[in-house]
Amino acid sequence: MNPIKTITALLAALPLVCSAGPSDYVYVPSVSYGEREIDFKYGAWTQKPGNDGLSAASIGYGYGVSQRWFTEIYSKYQRPQGEPSRFDAWEWENKFQLTEAGEYPVDLGLIVELERPQDRSEGYEFRFGPLFQTEFGKVQLNGNVLFQRNYRADAAAAMQLGYQWQAKYRWQPKLELGFQGFGELGQWNHWDPAGERSHRAGPAMFGKLALGDHQAIRYNAAWLVGASANAPSHNLRLQIEYEF
Amino acid sequence: MHRLFLCLALLPSLAAAADLEFTLVIQNHRFEPAEIRIPAGKKVKLWIDNRDATAEEFESHELNREKVIPGKAKLPVFVGPLSPGRYRFFGEFHQQTARGTLIAE
Repeated sequence: MNPIKTITALLAALPLVCSAGPSDYVYVPSVSYGEREIDFKYGAWTQKPGNDGLSAASIGYGYGVSQRWFTEIYSKYQRPQGEPSRFDAWEWENKFQLTEAGEYPVDLGLIVELERPQDRSEGYEFRFGPLFQTEFGKVQLNGNVLFQRNYRADAAAAMQLGYQWQAKYRWQPKLELGFQGFGELGQWNHWDPAGERSHRAGPAMFGKLALGDHQAIRYNAAWLVGASANAPSHNLRLQIEYEF
Repeated sequence: MHRLFLCLALLPSLAAAADLEFTLVIQNHRFEPAEIRIPAGKKVKLWIDNRDATAEEFESHELNREKVIPGKAKLPVFVGPLSPGRYRFFGEFHQQTARGTLIAE
């Protein structure tokens, strides 16, 4: 591949890589005490014509430490189009359930993540934000506001603001249907111009397959389409969790 | 942003003033009573009283609830307001015996 084209493509993708990834998933504010899980995530997105794509995957191990706290360690990998896969980062994710499900009109949680990229020039990536969930009969709605900033990075960066949402119809345990969306707005207190923000959304499916003996496979997947000029044109994402 | 924090601060005040409370006992890996009746259209605080020594998970896709109840512990699960009907639940750790139905009427 032409090195100039490669560098141009990487620079074009940089705002997305720094603030979001193709395998990102929608956090929900509930915690399962005592549950252990092995968590696999995969995602791939294609940029606008003329730019290269990116795929990412991660494998994690999580544990429900208490009724309010779930913690998980991830090993993350990344593969820019036309290049070999490479280790990308370690990530420590902590989710806190702040209210009991259904106690208030909106359930509330908190996500706190710390990531150590393999590229040490990126320093440490810190991400946090409130998680919201509500339900109307068999329809469940989630919305999250995420703040993200890199510390001890070679290049100083301001706190960034992003969001996630999903709406799903809880049809059957094995198959629920809905939509998901992700976006990045720029600096948290000074958003990018509308044309430079990234929004992507599309149909999603969810489900849980009980294996017996307190074991289950939980999955969710989505096909997201870029809804703004700065978003990837297409993004396939998938998460599979083995709970035990 | 200030509006977001204001909404968060107001969340507890949005709760119903007094929830109706019912109790469901887990004993010998069974729910007692196996059928529990609650009023439709009302939010209910359902206390799960696990009298067994081992943990159980109260689970119901129809109620959209999953809650692990440690052995010898009593924890609340909030359900509703529900439309009239039957809502099945089970104990995920002992599915053969721990099964029940919540009837909203």
